[in-house]
Amino acid sequence: MSADAMRPPSRSGPSEWMRRNLFRTWYDTVLTVVFGALALYVLARAIVFVFVDARWEIIEVNLKLLMVGRWPSEELTTIAVAVAMTGLLIGLVAGLVRGRQVRAGTAVRPSIGSRLADLAGRFSLLIGTALLLLALTDTAGPWTMAIATLVAGVVGRLVGGWLGSRFLPRWVTRLGALLIVAIPFVVFFYLNRAVPLAAWEGFFFNITAAMAGILLCFPLGVLLALARRSRLRLLQSMSIVYIEFVRGAPLFVLLLMANVSLEFFVPAAIAPSKVVRAITVFTLFTAAYLAEIVRGGLQSVPRGQEEAATALGLSPFKSMLLIVLPQALRNVIPAQIGQFISLFKDTTLAGLALGILDMLSAAQVITQQPAFRGQGLIIETLVFVGFLFWVGSFTMSRESQRLERKIGVGER
Amino acid sequence: MTQPEVFADATKAATGSPLIEVSHVDKFFGDFQALKDINLVVGHQEVVVVIGPSGSGKSTLIRCINRLEKHDRGRIVVDGIELSDDIRNIQEVRRETGMVFQQFNLFPHLTVLDNITLAPRQVRRVPKVEAEAEAMKLLERVGIPEQAHKYPGQLSGGQQQRVAIARSLAMKPKVMLFDEPTSALDPEMIKEVLDVMVELAQGGMTMIVVTHEMGFARAVADRIVFMSDGQIVEVGPPEHFFTNPTEERTKLFLSQIL
Repeated sequence: MSADAMRPPSRSGPSEWMRRNLFRTWYDTVLTVVFGALALYVLARAIVFVFVDARWEIIEVNLKLLMVGRWPSEELTTIAVAVAMTGLLIGLVAGLVRGRQVRAGTAVRPSIGSRLADLAGRFSLLIGTALLLLALTDTAGPWTMAIATLVAGVVGRLVGGWLGSRFLPRWVTRLGALLIVAIPFVVFFYLNRAVPLAAWEGFFFNITAAMAGILLCFPLGVLLALARRSRLRLLQSMSIVYIEFVRGAPLFVLLLMANVSLEFFVPAAIAPSKVVRAITVFTLFTAAYLAEIVRGGLQSVPRGQEEAATALGLSPFKSMLLIVLPQALRNVIPAQIGQFISLFKDTTLAGLALGILDMLSAAQVITQQPAFRGQGLIIETLVFVGFLFWVGSFTMSRESQRLERKIGVGER
Repeated sequence: MTQPEVFADATKAATGSPLIEVSHVDKFFGDFQALKDINLVVGHQEVVVVIGPSGSGKSTLIRCINRLEKHDRGRIVVDGIELSDDIRNIQEVRRETGMVFQQFNLFPHLTVLDNITLAPRQVRRVPKVEAEAEAMKLLERVGIPEQAHKYPGQLSGGQQQRVAIARSLAMKPKVMLFDEPTSALDPEMIKEVLDVMVELAQGGMTMIVVTHEMGFARAVADRIVFMSDGQIVEVGPPEHFFTNPTEERTKLFLSQIL
């Protein structure tokens, strides 16, 4: 018998795939028909709702309220400038990272076409959503902002790529790093001067609270994780008590407590604003979860790594900072990003708990406007809010997977 | 056959002046005594190979010399510095002692070059350019300069272990400790690592090597130390050791592995 005859017959093609996976047995067929029909029905209803029944004018009319709340119209330019500067920053960092990789020989310089295709693929959802939002506006402002951000991003990328691929004296790199770190603060104070943080509302609040929470909880979470592994008993028990206490309380309860109980301890005159309270609670809450994630990461690094660093004469601090922690954090990227996505969505709780007009609160408020009251438009607004959060979360999730692949180069 | 008296005495260095002095060292893991009254002196430029059945305390002994393990009783002096609870002494000893592990323990998130330059830059404050030039020389010496910009995960086991040796050498140690450096390697890669170690020994490096490679021990060792149950059973030069061992336990061990 020849080898060819012994090989099982291989058939392929869509009909074969369907027969094998959908209609293999009679009950497979029944399940396929029933659930196929159900899926088609739901899909059809969804399409009809989105494109025919839904009255999206409630979103169109209230877009500004949903996005930035009651931010004064004459100060909207401030937001546009801030967003464009953020675009510049992102482009700059991306360019610098890329440039340094090219210089070190760890990345190849791909053609501009494939770069653009890659970017378009990665951020298609984000770009599509931005275009959708732009289509809903009837003023030129948002368009100007979008174009300015795009231009700033491209300029930042080009400048960053140019600088990164060049050898620069150490003081220039240090100064540059300092400037880059300073940009977010500058942007914040620029915005804060126009409209104080306490009055930030809408989706703008959700995004700000999430970003602030992520940035602030990160160092705190890492410190808590290190404290929990510390040999100093006092430090260790303090960390354990904190983590277990915070993880044991519902976030909503903590937010409510921040709202009502702070006045017991702090005079009203110097009590922080609701937005600051919300960010504080988000930070403290997420730090406790992050600490446990990071602890898991620390445990995943083999003991030999620390031993090798120690044997080379590195101090315990440097061995942690340069050898163990980078690997630990890399190993738990998916869990970390999961926690950050969770935080992003949980910012909607601040609306109800603290009475901040975040995007979800705004979505409920606008259904009570005289023009829309009693028409059951809450579904439209909730779908819209849910969609924007999904776009943000999904983009974070996908970028985290990409990050994991990128820095997994040295995986053993 | 007469053997030079000095080679059979663990408390005297076979060559040169004493660099490492281990006297009356005990080490416990809980109730288990891993080292029992260990005495060993290693001289400058001497190569000592430690052999013995697994669990006999070979690794524990060399891990005590750079304080990866803390000995419970006795004294360990490296290059005139006694290992005590003083962290500065410990750090100083670690700077002078290179160690190569069975599992390589390269840092997977750093390139080969960064693995080698990390300690000189962080501990000895060598400028980057200088450290990298030195690292390239060392990679040249272990025969893999072309791998400098790769990550450890992209190298074979033998190449990784050679990088690990280069990484230790970058600190310009006075003594190199090898903890079963070839035990995790595929047979065809053992030779390339042993070759580097032979070259190192011929270059005058003081070495303590825990290994099962008897060919290496025979060719390179000034003295062989046989350990069993946490004790040093017999010490002697290779020719004595392999042809005419005195202790019964040594004979038994050699008959099992040769």
